[in-house]
Amino acid sequence: MIVTRSWLNEWIDLKGITTDNLVKTLNSIGLEVDRVHHYKVPEKIVFGRVLECEKHPDADKLNICKVDIGSSTRQIVCGASNVRAGLNVVVATIGAEMPNGLIIKPVVLRGIDSEGMICSAGEIGFENIQDGIMELDESIGGYTLGQEVSENNIFGDDLIEIELTANRGDCLSIRGIARDLSAAYDRPLKEVTFNENEDRRIGIGRILSLSHEKDLNINLRYKAVDLKNLIIPFVIKLRLSQIEEKRDTDIESIMLYATHSSGVILKAYNYGFFCAKNDTMAKIVLSEDKHGYACIMSKEKASTIGIIQEDASKVTYVEGTVLIEASYIPPDIISKKMAISKIPSGPLYYRTSRGSEPELNLGLSFCLDLIESNSNSAIFGGNIELCDSYENKIVSVSKQEIDEIIGASIDKVKINKILKNLGFNTAKSHADHFVISVPRFRHDIINKQDIIEEIVRLVGIDNIPSKPFMFKEENKLKDDYFEYKKRRTYRHRAAQSGFFESVHFVFDEKKVLQKYGFDTLNEELELLNPIVNTLDTLRSTLMTGLLKAASGNVNNGYSSVKLFEVGSVFNASREESLKMAMLFCGNKESESLSNSGKPQKIDFAFFTQKIADIIGEFELRTHTTKHSLSHPFQCAEILIGDEAVGELFRVHPSVQDSYNLDITIMCEIDFTKLPDSLKVAKNVSKYQASFRDLSIVMPQEMSYDRVKGVIEKNASNELIHFYPVDRYADESLGENVSLSIRFMLQSDEKTLQEEDITSSMDAILNALKNELGITLR
Amino acid sequence: MKEWYDAIQNAQSVEKLEEIRVSVFGKKGVLALEFAKMKTATDEEKAQIAKDLNTHKSALTNELMQRKITLQTLELQEAMRASAIDVSLFSSKSQSGALHPVMETMDKIIEYFTAMNFDIKTGPMVENDFYNFEALNLPKYHPARDMQDTFYFKDEMLLRTHTSPVQIRTMMSTKPPIRMIAPGAVFRRDYDITHTPMFHQVEGLLVDEEGIVSFANLKFILENFLKYMFGDVEVRFRPSFFPFTEPSAEVDISCIFCKGCGCRVCSKTGWLEVLGCGIVDPNVFKAVGYKNVSGYAFGLGVERFAMLIHQIGDLRSLFEGDIKLLEQFQ
Repeated sequence: MIVTRSWLNEWIDLKGITTDNLVKTLNSIGLEVDRVHHYKVPEKIVFGRVLECEKHPDADKLNICKVDIGSSTRQIVCGASNVRAGLNVVVATIGAEMPNGLIIKPVVLRGIDSEGMICSAGEIGFENIQDGIMELDESIGGYTLGQEVSENNIFGDDLIEIELTANRGDCLSIRGIARDLSAAYDRPLKEVTFNENEDRRIGIGRILSLSHEKDLNINLRYKAVDLKNLIIPFVIKLRLSQIEEKRDTDIESIMLYATHSSGVILKAYNYGFFCAKNDTMAKIVLSEDKHGYACIMSKEKASTIGIIQEDASKVTYVEGTVLIEASYIPPDIISKKMAISKIPSGPLYYRTSRGSEPELNLGLSFCLDLIESNSNSAIFGGNIELCDSYENKIVSVSKQEIDEIIGASIDKVKINKILKNLGFNTAKSHADHFVISVPRFRHDIINKQDIIEEIVRLVGIDNIPSKPFMFKEENKLKDDYFEYKKRRTYRHRAAQSGFFESVHFVFDEKKVLQKYGFDTLNEELELLNPIVNTLDTLRSTLMTGLLKAASGNVNNGYSSVKLFEVGSVFNASREESLKMAMLFCGNKESESLSNSGKPQKIDFAFFTQKIADIIGEFELRTHTTKHSLSHPFQCAEILIGDEAVGELFRVHPSVQDSYNLDITIMCEIDFTKLPDSLKVAKNVSKYQASFRDLSIVMPQEMSYDRVKGVIEKNASNELIHFYPVDRYADESLGENVSLSIRFMLQSDEKTLQEEDITSSMDAILNALKNELGITLR
Repeated sequence: MKEWYDAIQNAQSVEKLEEIRVSVFGKKGVLALEFAKMKTATDEEKAQIAKDLNTHKSALTNELMQRKITLQTLELQEAMRASAIDVSLFSSKSQSGALHPVMETMDKIIEYFTAMNFDIKTGPMVENDFYNFEALNLPKYHPARDMQDTFYFKDEMLLRTHTSPVQIRTMMSTKPPIRMIAPGAVFRRDYDITHTPMFHQVEGLLVDEEGIVSFANLKFILENFLKYMFGDVEVRFRPSFFPFTEPSAEVDISCIFCKGCGCRVCSKTGWLEVLGCGIVDPNVFKAVGYKNVSGYAFGLGVERFAMLIHQIGDLRSLFEGDIKLLEQFQ
């Protein structure tokens, strides 16, 4: 909603209030100011009058003008097509510095001296309102020739753009904003009077009849006018350009201006549209169209109330009879209807769905007054109307309730004053109880809280003291907190282990998910209105997002990329679950002195170690993934205890290629399966531990899993743990490999003797030989 | 004997010193020779010689030891000098990763409210119309629904447009009093320089007996919270409109970049909008079946906080796993 200071001033006296103060007040009463623009016409630009105007002898498009600028007359060569003798104009005199930087100097144009420039609106910092120069009239108020233009209220105006909240349809007009300011400043609205002399007017009843088929909760009011010689005043043209709206015809411009000023929805109709052939009586019918929208009908539809006017019913002539309609439709009716069956809408709908001004006479009179005073039109007497029976809502609220919700005691007199200035009637209030009759234009006020909101915003929230809330202490560390804390802990560990946390949209591209064999949402659960093709479904894995991000980083020149994400994914049934994924691509570390500038590439062992640093102890088991991101022979399932919690694999070389990645290893883990309980400490032996290494020769094809199984089964109580430390193959070993395993043995009762150790190790060796045919190297 | 004192003093290495020790104290050393001379001396002379020699013996031992310590120290010094490095070669660049600035900001917000005895509550991202709109006083035809362009699914479910449905779910499953925050991802169908289809919110809700929760309480906690997040800033409340709260307000802080003088970030206004809040609308309580209660609610966008705190210019870069950005938070 755009207002200007001079426009507001027509409805409320703003004397003594600076524009800064106005902006501050608008903000503090909940009318958020988005933009303020001070029009500042430069110095030495003055009012003038064209006394004479004749064609330039040597240039078709130029005119030589004698321009009166008060103190003197100047000769100015002007190229505007609309320049003529008798025009009142704006003149930039010698020395004026125009907003675009041009400095006006005496010049010679095709042999003729020119001392100044006659200006268009655009040249002095306004929107252009017509081709050529401005044609001033008395609508800008009094001025003298030669007076600085910047001293004029219309040219020295301030523009304020307000971002209205959806509930404040009543502020979609200059008058509406003025009404809120009236409450904020406790100043009354100006009395605006119209010429409503009904003498010697032909009654509208002679030319128009209105009928309706059923009660549609709509208010309509018609006037008629014989339009002749309508001239739009300069100030209206200027203001319509300031609110960045434009209409094709003068009569439409007047409607728009009157609506923007008063808030009443106004339309001008072609009279003939409603007259049957050879009939001079227009017949308007209010009925419903096939979607249930209220319509103005003749033989054809003329308009859909509150939404759009059909082109055929618009006024295209400048002389002749015009019907002017003011309408009001309750906003909830129209927006409910629109939610059920959407139809194309026009600029009207924005106003009507938020609530237009119901006081139809105000808008109609304002509009006709404008027409009458700016044309030779004859207005028909009286009006034709259709009214519903509406009674104002009554809301009652006690002072105690107001004070409790605000948290401070608000003066009763002040409350009354605020409500009255806002147009509420509080006459029935008694003692500390307010009984408030809510005017129709405040359809957003329904209950006590709405009333309190009005009081809060006009008292000013800044004037309410802050007060801590007193509450009963309670243990708030419950499930969702622990879940959050667990997430935070793992995120911290991942970051400390060198991974960068990334956050991706939970959207993904269905085509990509399908290509790699991931779950996608069942068709009937799919997104209805994705924002772009590449985000057309919900992700079922974090890994595609990480791969894409890795690819971006590699393209940015990173030779080592470590990323992780903890986030939600969705299965085919759209059930949400939480996963954690890590990706490591390229170099193990950055180039540095310690690796002589040639860091090694990431490998399976190193990555596994990194993951263990994050999620703690786990085991890996040979695995085949359902999706096709994985290298078929470097792929594992992650086990914690006996539970499978995720998968860890090297990315398939062809996938690496398609993402333009170096060696990449990644894993994805079911986050809820990660441990987060307190650890239980084991008893620690106080006796010395002993270590033994065994180097065994085993078939290349055999999984270490099997060796491990046999060792575990045959281990003595003293075997604390064991782990592979070296794997070696060469030609002499043929199909076999040598694997060195380190054993740690320790007893709770004594320092182990050589023979104890030997017997433990022998038992293992024998078992390996008997069960797997494996021997020492 | 004097020459041996000089020799010790002039010895330049521990090895040389050892040679001297052998020459002096060895079986065929100087001292042994001197002591041997006693055999031919008289008894008086013997006593004198023995005394002199013993004095020399202990003095030389002492000299040797002192010199050895000196030489060892010098040698160590030399060895260390030989292993000197140019420390300036070794950069201090961290090899650790980093938390995402948005997630870290969320952690900081959560930390405040947990310390203020708020519960953390979470809920599903896929929601239905009732929890996301209807129960929040946003009936189907309400124009305020325009403010939140929604992602729908074919079965009429939707992606939550705010974390408020978590509050509805909490109220429907718990009795008052309630003191909670709902952090999480939310979704709106918007994608441009200042909007992403997914972003994060933290919303708060406090519900207690009727007549005891006031706007003044809301002002207190939000002023306190914003000072915790942004330091010494001015806080301004502007009345506004949200369907689920009434009275409602938007909360601004004085611009942290220009200290309120007006700059590009605050569009010359001197203020930055950071929060929405209000007293819970009675229709919301009605929808969840609460009676005789009062409460306040507030909500904020985590990305906005993160971008302000860390001076990040491009919202979309936050969702690209871009190490260029992330490594700045190591």
